[in-house]
Amino acid sequence: MRSPRTLEVWRLGTVNYLKSLKIQDKLVSERKAHQIPDTLLSLEHPPTYTLGKRRTDHNLLIPQSELTKIGAELHYTQRGGDITFHGPHQAILYPIISLRSIGFGARNYVETLERSMIEFASMYGVKARPGNKCETGVWVGDRKIGAIGVRITSGITCHGLAFNIDPDLKYFEHIVPCGIADKEVTSLRRETDALLPSEEVIHKQLITCLANAFSYDDVVWKEDPSVILDTKDVE
Amino acid sequence: MALRLMLASSRIASHLRISVSHRAFSSVVLKDLKYADSHEWVKIEGNKATVGITDHAQEHLGDVVYVKLPDVGRSVSQGESFGAVESVKATSDINSPISGKVLQVNKDLSESPALVNSSPYEEGWIMKVELSDAGEVKKLMDSDKYSKFCEEEDSKH
Repeated sequence: MRSPRTLEVWRLGTVNYLKSLKIQDKLVSERKAHQIPDTLLSLEHPPTYTLGKRRTDHNLLIPQSELTKIGAELHYTQRGGDITFHGPHQAILYPIISLRSIGFGARNYVETLERSMIEFASMYGVKARPGNKCETGVWVGDRKIGAIGVRITSGITCHGLAFNIDPDLKYFEHIVPCGIADKEVTSLRRETDALLPSEEVIHKQLITCLANAFSYDDVVWKEDPSVILDTKDVE
Repeated sequence: MALRLMLASSRIASHLRISVSHRAFSSVVLKDLKYADSHEWVKIEGNKATVGITDHAQEHLGDVVYVKLPDVGRSVSQGESFGAVESVKATSDINSPISGKVLQVNKDLSESPALVNSSPYEEGWIMKVELSDAGEVKKLMDSDKYSKFCEEEDSKH
């Protein structure tokens, strides 16, 4: 009989991208050392463009010098995937989980992240689907509503998914999102007529869909984000 | 899927003249290699070693679109990351099963990263290393232990 699996959830509000990377690095080390259980960060970023390990900066369509004018930062990361945008009203989940303890590889993991977002979208009557080959992510028709970019070190995950609730989609015009030209980006706001509850409620729903998709027995909602945000090694 | 694996492994087996165990729906594990629990294989020939990722690893990764190769001449340590592969928008670190110095890397993987999927034990090899500590090989699994390890991992979900 397997032991019960717990997911600890931290809801952090808006977090600067670099700060979120430092928090994740710390959590990945702690998870690797079995000091913490599987952990999930739920947050948003201020306007930020990010690139993956392949550094596909040809997919940024404006000069880097223009970015401050539009109020955005650019960061190079170690995650998989191409260029993307993060910003207000986009729900971000960064699961720091041990794939080895559930016997998952990258493919199963990413497919489960996709299923989490599809399940969440269906709560609002939005029929989303996983991407075709080479188009990992979540789509409504030919419009992308959820993006994935993941890093796995020693079987521990970091980075994760970004689901568009109601971000300013104009920011996506300055990139070839995920390196896929001629396909639109969309949002939950655009795809449903349903009345959207508060973002706090929406984030909680998305988190619950992820926890169910990964079959966690227990979800622990951590109350005090300052514990993670204000640690001395994270500036 | 099973038929493809059997044909591929029979081809590999007849080329290398070793026996391969076939169990329905299991990945290919070759008898003369050693294995790390992070799913890398190593072939030891004297004080030189060839390293790659296993059939189990490539199946669980999905289609590999990019391989970050180590620099020739750098040192690698057993259990430490030496490079990465990208598949399905996930970058997965690959760890070295042995310690030593990188002598050669498989440049074909820059143009054709999918070789890791189609031929993980042959054309998809990743690096060749000069061993610094032959004794480390004892810490690795043989093919039987690795097969069991894979079965146990896969039964977790």
